[in-house]
Amino acid sequence: MTSEPSRHILSDFDSTLEALRKNVLMMASLTIRNLENARKGLFERDEDWCNTVIADDEEIDALEIEVDREGIETILRFHPFASDLRNVLAAMKMSVNLERVADQAVGIARRARKLNTYGLLPETAEIEPLFRHAESMVVDAVKAYADQNIELSRTLKPRDRELDAMNRDFANKITELMPKHPAQIHGYLELIFIARFLERIGDQATNIAEDTVFAVAAEDIRHLQSRQ
Amino acid sequence: MSPNMQEERISRHDSAGHATPGRTDFLSVRDFDFYYGRKQALFGITMDIPEKQVTAFIGPSGCGKSTLLRNFNRMNELIDGIRHEGDIQLLGQSIYDRGVEVIALRRSIGIVFQKSNPFPKSIYENIVYGLRISGERNRSVLDEAVERSLRGAALWEEAKDRLHESALGLSGGQMQRLCIARAIANRPKVLLMDEPCSALDPIATVKVEELIHELKREFTIVIVTHNMQQATRCSDRTAFFYLGKLIEYDTTQKIFSNPAQKQTEDYITGRFG
Repeated sequence: MTSEPSRHILSDFDSTLEALRKNVLMMASLTIRNLENARKGLFERDEDWCNTVIADDEEIDALEIEVDREGIETILRFHPFASDLRNVLAAMKMSVNLERVADQAVGIARRARKLNTYGLLPETAEIEPLFRHAESMVVDAVKAYADQNIELSRTLKPRDRELDAMNRDFANKITELMPKHPAQIHGYLELIFIARFLERIGDQATNIAEDTVFAVAAEDIRHLQSRQ
Repeated sequence: MSPNMQEERISRHDSAGHATPGRTDFLSVRDFDFYYGRKQALFGITMDIPEKQVTAFIGPSGCGKSTLLRNFNRMNELIDGIRHEGDIQLLGQSIYDRGVEVIALRRSIGIVFQKSNPFPKSIYENIVYGLRISGERNRSVLDEAVERSLRGAALWEEAKDRLHESALGLSGGQMQRLCIARAIANRPKVLLMDEPCSALDPIATVKVEELIHELKREFTIVIVTHNMQQATRCSDRTAFFYLGKLIEYDTTQKIFSNPAQKQTEDYITGRFG
């Protein structure tokens, strides 16, 4: 059932659900901003952006706790059923995935900060397509949740497979370069870690999309390949 | 017997107490219309109630759920001016057949009401009343029935030392369990419960709900409830009624997690009612 829901008779229920949704979208907005700042810190070799990402993570962590609290309170007070229950659960699961994306952004920022102390590595530019791809997955997963767009949500899984392939190719390439340029090994290792963070970000964006499909359509699309 | 009578299967329960399929049309309703005088209260109800499961009827006040429930044992016939069209069958036999004796039907389909109604007699006499009026005089048979029924209603330990005291001295929750015991003393095939817990405190309520969970191993139960959490806790299947019509009927899990009809979703999520 995907038709627009009407208002609850209990207006407090509506305002509680709306507050929960707003907090999740706020958290998403901060997470996307942090990821963007991590990208700037990495490619502009700017330590200030890296420090900003690390500092701003605290606000995202606090929102995760708040969303959990609100979700539990909603379940306790209102005993939601059907789409209401699915939406509350999706919001709580989404906050976990967003918090993990934010943690990956912090990991990227820390690695970027370290990378910036080494000389400029030309291979750093080759990670940008992975970054843009992962970032667009998070943006679209959040947009799909906000718009209850299950068609957009369904695009995330194949895009995640693309990102996995890009990560593998990148890691293989860097690994081949290591024996050729042993002085750059430390820098290459940072790049491999950053690529791995981006690959995990893709996984979390996919989780968000799967939870959106469940919330909107009551369809569980997780692990479809292994279930088949 | 109905020409469509299905082969009976032995009802089983898994280790969690969930019913696994017995006869799916133990109690069946076919194109059932019901009228209070000129006012039509039920419109074309068709449904099958499965054996040894709990089926919950939910819906807003006036939707016809209690009306349908009371038709299962023809209690509505106590009201002047009623009439019906369509049929209700128990084990493939119409409850309206000429050969059906209404009193016997009501022993076979017992009912428990919202407000407990023990007779102003002893606990013992409440239980054996139905047996006595059907002619049972053997003391050991009556004694056995009392213990069996009170144990079945989870009231034996509380009542065994006061069987000959007035039933009116029991608490509200105990009285309701006594009414359940009285109903099951006749070894009914079906137990109807019309909002059995709405007058009870939370502790008494969970005791009755636990009792329902146990009773469904032996009886087919239909329960009308306004408490949707109770429906999710107690029932295997749920039927949603609105303005005299059956809107949706499915497993309780489906109804409350992903109903097919918008009206059902709107009702259970509190968007109307």
